[in-house]
Amino acid sequence: MNILGISCFYHDSAACLIKDGKIVAGSEEERFSRKKHDTGFPFNAIKYCLKEGEIDVDEIDYIAFYEKPLLKFERILSSHLETFPKSFRAFVGSMPSWLNEKLRVPSIIRKKLKYKGEIIFVEHHEAHAGSTFLVSPFNEAAILTIDGVGEWTTTSTGFGKGNDISIKKEIHFPHSLGLLYSTVTAYLGFRVNNDEYKVMGLASYGEPKYVKNFRKIIDVKKDGSFRLNMDYFVYHHKMRMPSEKFVKEFGPMRKKGGEITQRHKDIAASLQRIVEETIFQILRNLHKETKCDNLCMAGGVALNSVSNGKILDNTPFKNVFIQPASSDAGGSLGAAMYLYNSILGNKREYIMEDIYLGPGFNTDEIRSFLKGNNIKFKEFKDDNKLLKKAADLIHKNNIVGFYQGRMEWGPRALGNRSILANPCNPEMKDVVNKRVKHREPFRPFAPVVTYEDYMDYFEAKTQVPFMLFVYPVRKNKRKLIPAVTHVDGTGRLQTIRKDWNPRYYQIIKEFEKLSGVPVLLNTSFNIRGEPIVCTPEDAYRCMMGTGIDYMVIDRFLVAREDNPKDKWTSWEGN
Amino acid sequence: MEKIKSFLKGFGKGFKKFGEGVSNVVNFVLLTFVYFIGIGITSLFAKIFGKKFLDMKEGEKSYWKNKEGEKELKDYKKMF
Ligand SMILES: [Fe+2]
Repeated sequence: MNILGISCFYHDSAACLIKDGKIVAGSEEERFSRKKHDTGFPFNAIKYCLKEGEIDVDEIDYIAFYEKPLLKFERILSSHLETFPKSFRAFVGSMPSWLNEKLRVPSIIRKKLKYKGEIIFVEHHEAHAGSTFLVSPFNEAAILTIDGVGEWTTTSTGFGKGNDISIKKEIHFPHSLGLLYSTVTAYLGFRVNNDEYKVMGLASYGEPKYVKNFRKIIDVKKDGSFRLNMDYFVYHHKMRMPSEKFVKEFGPMRKKGGEITQRHKDIAASLQRIVEETIFQILRNLHKETKCDNLCMAGGVALNSVSNGKILDNTPFKNVFIQPASSDAGGSLGAAMYLYNSILGNKREYIMEDIYLGPGFNTDEIRSFLKGNNIKFKEFKDDNKLLKKAADLIHKNNIVGFYQGRMEWGPRALGNRSILANPCNPEMKDVVNKRVKHREPFRPFAPVVTYEDYMDYFEAKTQVPFMLFVYPVRKNKRKLIPAVTHVDGTGRLQTIRKDWNPRYYQIIKEFEKLSGVPVLLNTSFNIRGEPIVCTPEDAYRCMMGTGIDYMVIDRFLVAREDNPKDKWTSWEGN
Repeated sequence: MEKIKSFLKGFGKGFKKFGEGVSNVVNFVLLTFVYFIGIGITSLFAKIFGKKFLDMKEGEKSYWKNKEGEKELKDYKKMF
């Protein structure tokens, strides 16, 4: 049975194909369209999924959509009715997209894909729940989904057993931890639905001095349920988020690009503290109710890796699985899995052990791309030699793009579309920032560490294959890997086992032979503001447009200095 | 010939922009009408009868809402 999952028209459009309960392909649309967080119909991602699955549209048994559009529309209308006449601008601004696409999902799907089969609408938080529990290694688990908002739900808790998911309780709009986080993101001059992780990074530099102020804004009950005081927000009737009362409480808003002061850092730290406290309160109650030690999480807030890293210390849960594509992109996968397992009652057939679900290009395809574009490269018949050479280049403080196999699913580059650098060099964070990523200086870079060694370097409670947990770097190792140790002594690590990604593992091992350290700096293969590279052409363009020195692409080594810079110097230049 | 082509192209583009502008104005007028008549009057009556569309009051014992019961395949075929 073939099920195509689709999420779109809000944030991070994506498609995912499952065949008899196993995921065969999945990707965000942004990787093809090159528009970050593309919200449009994921036509390219769907085309890719069908090609990878070697099926035609008429072989799809069901299409599963990741939410119920009319329920969501009911919430939008309710907000306008409640806040009339303050919501006039928001109404006029948002209605055209509702009338043109969001309410016409079935006809758009049928028209664009020439699809005649069944379309199934799974609730947004059911899709999130499906995206985590149904691909987790657990047969039984407590489930928490938590995001900005789906139809009405912003937080849900439940229990999964076998192929069944039962969501028991929910918090409804406008009360939302995700929207609280986004409000502070906007207040601090960052972009909503994009820069929340910057606020999380900034929080490490601050003291939670504003927790008391936040307690006026959010009322958290003993049972973990919470409610926002909506006097502090205007997102339920305006295109903005914080209200004037919010600004009065915390002081003037930071303008985009303005100076970041200690006050901003303290506000970020206080928000992070409040959000963590609330999540842990929910989780402690969820454990009490389910009496289950396994936890599955999904939804945008589940990407808060700082909070995730503290779950095992602050709640009774013993094992945690989080969907790597926890934002709405993961909804496409969740809707398809939920339909296959929970609605149609099929046995679970899949555990998500890796996330290499995107397009891949074989050696011949890459060779012909390089040759066809007169790119100078060196081909290595002996892969060990290539990886040794790459490790040596990294050890000599070069920045190396590492491109191989199928592209990652979700927001993190985990060794197939990565940029690697020397974590031991204290300057390397600034070098990578200046030459490639152009990020804000307060944001950390992440370490990747071999599975056998992660306990030596990090006070980690679990292995972290998907880079979803931040753990402290052991005190005696912090000086060894300064480029990946955040200001508060932590790192958002990825642990890598040989069988998960042998070449990625080996390059770290080769680096260890040279440096004595089984760790590399790993960051996504892209420039700030652009999606992670997908094709060899994207990767080459990215290298030539930035200060990446070398690129290991499959069995080939490409040096930037060997190739003419005037050809592909930037995305815009072509 | 080239000049005529580029003129026609420019004219076509301008006409498209003009069309979009007109449709934006029409949309705006219609949506304003719907907002003040449809949403406005309903909201007014709702306020008179004390109907709340968003649950915003504080001080309850718990803010959890229980999720309603089981659904079947046919329920998932609906957009609501
Ligand atoms: Fe969501």
